[in-house]
Amino acid sequence: MRINPDFTIQKVGASYLAVPVGETSKQFHGMIRLNETGAFLWNQMTEKDCTEADLVEALLQEYEVEPAVAKTDVHRVVELLKEHHCLV
Amino acid sequence: MFIIRLAGVRIRVENRYSFLERQCREYVCSGEEYDFSVSVTGDEILEEQKHGEFSEGYCESICMYRNICEKIAAYNIFLLHSSVLEVDGRAYAFAARSGVGKSTHTALWLKNIPGARVLNGDKPLYRLEADGSFTVHGTPWNGKEDWGMNLSAPVAGICFLERGEKNAIRPATPEETLNRLMHQLYLRGGRASVNQRLIMMNAMLESLPFYVLSCTISDEAAHLAYNTMRLQSN
Repeated sequence: MRINPDFTIQKVGASYLAVPVGETSKQFHGMIRLNETGAFLWNQMTEKDCTEADLVEALLQEYEVEPAVAKTDVHRVVELLKEHHCLV
Repeated sequence: MFIIRLAGVRIRVENRYSFLERQCREYVCSGEEYDFSVSVTGDEILEEQKHGEFSEGYCESICMYRNICEKIAAYNIFLLHSSVLEVDGRAYAFAARSGVGKSTHTALWLKNIPGARVLNGDKPLYRLEADGSFTVHGTPWNGKEDWGMNLSAPVAGICFLERGEKNAIRPATPEETLNRLMHQLYLRGGRASVNQRLIMMNAMLESLPFYVLSCTISDEAAHLAYNTMRLQSN
């Protein structure tokens, strides 16, 4: 999966806001708010096509986190992004 | 077709219906020069009419402002849904979900705070200045009460309203400010425009004081809000 190219992401305050742009913004009005980890995963999926396993791997390389926790975090973020039509 | 000046930017409005001309008359300026032009397609008007039994002229006006807001982001200007009062040359803004009582609280200021005037009751434009401060500007889009005037002022602070059992005001944390601002910021548009508005939102979080006012419908609520916001911003 990859990030839907019709989204933009910007750091606002301590968070990252992902917002639909262009035609997509006429269908989906919601914006989502991500923390540092969420934004990291977002960037991974902007650069290349990733599976959940790829994302867990990337997270483990970047952050000191237990594999089980990384797996749960990745799944939670992916579900959130799916729900908001951020993935293609 | 006519030219208006909004937040210091000259905009050529290419309208079809006379509704807009009447609405914008206090903002019309002379001369042929303009910074950008804006129009609305027939399809946009049809789409807008799906939301209710409104005239073409009214729908054109709604769509025109949406298109203005998208283009004006390039000038460091954006719409934040709020009710703004001006007192002694400074602007005090209130934001809330619809139905919470922005209009009611605004009316309490008019009654209780000497010299208070409504700059815009619903859809003012905020401009990020070169020094990082914010000014707020009247627009012909005023909300259903049609409260507003062609006026600008530096922003003293922004206050989120809540209904409460008694009156209390406190600074908003950055976390809740972002949460609440997200609901009031108008963000549809192209990538460059949306990015620009998010950058301005970030600047706003860093530079303006934000408050949460829990209030009853009372004269005391207006005095508490005004006294707190005025002193903090000096």
